[in-house]
Amino acid sequence: MLTRRILLWSGTAALAMMGLPRSPARAQSLEQATAFIEQAMKDLSFVVNGPDPMADKQRKLQAIIDRTVDVNDVARFCLGRFWRAASPAQQSEYLALFHRVLMINITSKVGEYQGVTFTIGRAQPREGAVVVSSIVNRPGNPPNKVDWLVSFDTGSPKIIDVVAEGTSLRLTQRSDYSAYLAHNNNSVQALIDALKQQATQPS
Amino acid sequence: MRRPSRSFRLPELPLLAAMVVVAASLAGCASKPPADDPEAVAEYTEANDPMEPTNRVFYAVNNGLDTVILRPLAVGYKYVVPYVVRSHIHNVLTNLSMPASLFDDMLAARPRRAGTSLMRLLVNSTVGVAGVFDVATDWGWPAHDSDAGMTLALWGLPEGPFLFLPVLGPTSPRDASGFGVDVATDPITWVGSGVLVSSLGYTRWGMTAIDTRTNVLDDLDKIKAQALDPYATIRSLYRQHRQSQIDEARSDDRATVPAWFVQPARP
Repeated sequence: MLTRRILLWSGTAALAMMGLPRSPARAQSLEQATAFIEQAMKDLSFVVNGPDPMADKQRKLQAIIDRTVDVNDVARFCLGRFWRAASPAQQSEYLALFHRVLMINITSKVGEYQGVTFTIGRAQPREGAVVVSSIVNRPGNPPNKVDWLVSFDTGSPKIIDVVAEGTSLRLTQRSDYSAYLAHNNNSVQALIDALKQQATQPS
Repeated sequence: MRRPSRSFRLPELPLLAAMVVVAASLAGCASKPPADDPEAVAEYTEANDPMEPTNRVFYAVNNGLDTVILRPLAVGYKYVVPYVVRSHIHNVLTNLSMPASLFDDMLAARPRRAGTSLMRLLVNSTVGVAGVFDVATDWGWPAHDSDAGMTLALWGLPEGPFLFLPVLGPTSPRDASGFGVDVATDPITWVGSGVLVSSLGYTRWGMTAIDTRTNVLDDLDKIKAQALDPYATIRSLYRQHRQSQIDEARSDDRATVPAWFVQPARP
């Protein structure tokens, strides 16, 4: 009889578990991340497709990026194991340079994104953050699948990675830096000097 | 009675492989970091690029050829030919490679993907006027990536070390073999002979090269301008992109119900 009772109990337990609502906190953060990306995309296309002169567009774009992206977190990720090897002075210099180079790289291409439109897809939890998928349409280009990794670590939603067609921006950047470091005796100072050049010579 | 029918040869892969091996022995291998630096060893393993010095030589060669030949062609093509026409040409080229894709989907044991490839081939070759119009996507059979390299990956074959081959560019032993299989299984490789057929074959491969290059024009320009080490950046991008294609094929359990049919209830 014992086996039957165990079966009965485990069956009831399984049913009870199936009936439990999914964690409300998780569902909420999925919704929150989707709404956050939707708003960011709206702001972004509003500025890019707006009538402002180029300099104004670049300034407004910069403000949006500062508000929505955790640039310092991305910067630390990209330096990887060398973050700990860097001195505090090097760390802060690197963060400032990374920020400036990122801004130059994004804002210098603002003209190419004229006419851009977005479709926001579904959100999924991944590695303690939320991935919001989207389709980015640029006139004269095939549509691109772009995923946004949103973290809540700072308390508010922030973008910590952009995955375009399966390629992660921060992972790619980290391989670039680590290859450069490997060919320059793992010297963080060499990387900082290279970034300085990139920061003064906008591409 | 076998006709000498193969109309077009890319440089034969065994020859390429031999060139790589010879060059590797000449240029030497990347030196492995000392074992007392576990993080450096982990990085070396992650890069999985023991032939890096050789690969970088071929990267430089390809880059030079690209700068003087392929990139100018792609820039001109994009400038002269409007997007609508380019996308129709892209459709035709994709349709021509569809039999090989169908074969790969079947070998990969992905019946639903194979069904989509078959329907794409049938619909686009007929209603889509020899592939000019991608009617199949509107009818509920959207395009997906499939090639023999992906099939080998789904069979469980590891990709192996990174390779940068002349002409082919970034690849791996697995994907380079896959490319050879796709050339061999392409029906057009075996159809007919003569001047017309071989010139059509050359045109097709030439157009494929220009079409592919045009699609990555902005991205590659950006990489060369912004990366500190473009070679390492391309290596990383290639790997990630391949992995995402393979993951997508593996997790693809869609029902291939055409758009005009009664749709199954969504869970």
